Amino acid sequence: MTEVDLLTRLKEVAGESVARIEPINRETVYALPVEKWLNVVAVLTGELGIRHLSAITAQQRDASQGEIEVMVHFWQGRGITFVLTLPGDHPEIPSITAIIPGADFYEREAAEMFGINFTGREATPHLLLPDDWDQAPPFTGRITHD
Amino acid sequence: MVEGLFYLLLFPGLAFQVTCGLVFEWADRKLLARFQRRVGPRWYQPLADLVKLFSKEDMLPTGASDWAATILPLVSLASVLTAGLYVPIAGFTPFSFEGDLIVILFFMGVPTMAYYLVGMSSVGIYSILGGARSLLQYFSYEVPLLLAFSGPAVLSGSWSVSGILEAQTELGPFFLFQPVGFGLAVVGLIGKLKRDPLDIPKAKSEVVAGSLTEFSGPKLALWHLVMDIQAIIGIFLLINLFFGAPVGAAPWIGALIFGGEVLLMIFILSAASSLFARLRIDQLAGLGWRVLVPAGIIQLLFVILMGV
Amino acid sequence: MTKNIIPVGPQHPLLKEPISVNIEVSGEDVLGGSLRIGYVHRGIERLAQERTYVQNVHLIERICGICSHVHTTTYCYAVEALLGIEIPPKAQYIRALMCELERIHSHLLWIGILAKHIGLEMVFMHSWHNREVVLDIMEELSGGRVSHAANLIGGVRFDMDAEHDQMVRRQLRKLEDQLFGVLDAISTDTTIKARTKGVAPITAEQIRQYCVVGPVARASGVDVDMRRDNPLPPYDKLDFNVVTYPDGDAWARTIVRVDETRESLKLCEKILDQMPEGPVTTRARRKVPAGETVIRSEAPRGEVFYYLRSDGSEYPARLKIRTPTLAALSLMPVQLSEIRVADIPVVLAGIDLCIACADR
Repeated sequence: MTEVDLLTRLKEVAGESVARIEPINRETVYALPVEKWLNVVAVLTGELGIRHLSAITAQQRDASQGEIEVMVHFWQGRGITFVLTLPGDHPEIPSITAIIPGADFYEREAAEMFGINFTGREATPHLLLPDDWDQAPPFTGRITHD
Repeated sequence: MVEGLFYLLLFPGLAFQVTCGLVFEWADRKLLARFQRRVGPRWYQPLADLVKLFSKEDMLPTGASDWAATILPLVSLASVLTAGLYVPIAGFTPFSFEGDLIVILFFMGVPTMAYYLVGMSSVGIYSILGGARSLLQYFSYEVPLLLAFSGPAVLSGSWSVSGILEAQTELGPFFLFQPVGFGLAVVGLIGKLKRDPLDIPKAKSEVVAGSLTEFSGPKLALWHLVMDIQAIIGIFLLINLFFGAPVGAAPWIGALIFGGEVLLMIFILSAASSLFARLRIDQLAGLGWRVLVPAGIIQLLFVILMGV
Repeated sequence: MTKNIIPVGPQHPLLKEPISVNIEVSGEDVLGGSLRIGYVHRGIERLAQERTYVQNVHLIERICGICSHVHTTTYCYAVEALLGIEIPPKAQYIRALMCELERIHSHLLWIGILAKHIGLEMVFMHSWHNREVVLDIMEELSGGRVSHAANLIGGVRFDMDAEHDQMVRRQLRKLEDQLFGVLDAISTDTTIKARTKGVAPITAEQIRQYCVVGPVARASGVDVDMRRDNPLPPYDKLDFNVVTYPDGDAWARTIVRVDETRESLKLCEKILDQMPEGPVTTRARRKVPAGETVIRSEAPRGEVFYYLRSDGSEYPARLKIRTPTLAALSLMPVQLSEIRVADIPVVLAGIDLCIACADR
């Protein structure tokens, strides 16, 4: 499936707000709205056969603005990344573990490190942090340099 | 009286058997190391390990039966030492009587039962699993072992080990007539001693140390001693039943030949340890009942018919 | 029969590194298992944000002992992509050589561990004896047996002249002489087959669902290898086979790694043959311009994924690392049903756990 076809199909599923943004290195990147996320994943894994999930990266581009970006990286002969932007105070995104069981660990890590709420999962236990972790999610907040 | 004490405490009793057990452990560890391109321990290592263990703190987890943990190794040690009294060393035994083979086999079976009981009386999943596995293993190797050991007895018409030795001086070494029986006896001995590839009850990667997981200090030292002495007595028994004693030779030549046979057996056991991966308990049960027992029965029938 | 829980970990003879797998058993049958990782979590991604790009090379090396070189290689390629520089060809080949040596080292270590867990200590000792030859090569080249510090941003830290080339070839020949016999013995040994054949089969569908990579995926017939699919230089110029087996059981996972070791040995020779002359470093600016990059490479355990973002300052804005063991671990609870207690070591070893990688 060429890039143009993929973009067209994504726009069909998720609406016009889908945009192809600057590629990273050899990776093609698409921005998606959060509401259509599950639909897109269903189409990707079902019809388009793009199933291999490499990683889920969460990050805050700008600590002051507080928006949290979730980047979901797929691989199908070439790298395809989807970027979803979540509001900083209430980051919520539907979980894709029902469609891709392999996303479980990545979602749990993003949840505990950034405080993201993955909806539609029965539980999101800590993956790496201890169970009694009572401080803020480690990646949010200002980064100090000594 | 003095003679009796000499036999009991020095030769072929306590001191001799303990020494032989430690020498066996050293030879076995050294051979295994050499097979693996390692150097191996010095001659005094098993003794040093024993001394070190005796000097350590003796503790058991809460809920484990302290009484059982103390009595069972002592009973096992007493049993193997007693069994050893009746096994001829280079043809010499002061206590032989008709039927002593049965007595030896009975006493050799006590440590196996004790190992199972101590696992069940300890706490922790590893002890229980180890104990259960040791019983399962017992059911798989004991019947072939007994069948194999019955062969020489039937062929010689005597249930005394000395009687079997005498028969072999007439007929020749029994392993020539009963090679299958000899093989079964070796396999059975490996199972009895819980050595690789049949160390299923104490498989380090599965049940940590089996029944003895919670043991340390003097109690563990006793168990090591039991296992070493059980091994060397088993080897002596095997040699007596299947190799016999040299005819009419001077005692020191007989002792040398006996020593050589012991080394050969240790070599066979170490080689078997090195060459095979551990079996699973279900594979052992299948092997035991589908291959070993029929082979043992056929061998025994053959011996009976041949003896007629 | 009563149900019991075997606590494998955090400390257990089976584990080199701490994880906690609570396995529910009933007699000799395993009913299931639950997994907890994070015992070795050091917060590498977070620490990387507080160190300069150069300091991070040393931090990244300490993610894992066995795959240390591939981690620093991927990181350095990522930084170099942001800087917009390309390292000299000789440096690319040296990086690849160390990667392949590391692959051989890792697989030999793994074969030893598997053999030890199933009670065949002789194979353990022999394969680790051969591993020493590989470690000696790496020590001659870089000064370190396991932790090489081979990579710099802009190239590699050491050069290889004709003498090094001769030494490596000689050692590789010695390794082939010693090793191929051992590998053949392992591939044909009846007791290893008896313990691993048919144990915990994984279907290709499960591999795809759980996004597993590396030898575990290739042992179920899923043909994926980042050295071929997304080659970092110089793998685009190198010719090698990707080993797959269709069965998906523990035996296939063993044989895939054995064959991969052979392939890597041949590949080392090809790398030496094709290695050009030239410098081994190129100038790299301290200040990394703003940008993002994604680099994927093939560690001994599978696909390593790096995402690096720079905001123009001295420190990385975000470094995301996804290691192959993390994907394989998510498959472990699925594998821990329908097996026996005696198969637990085989299953755990088959995944080739590198927990330090998974926890970071």
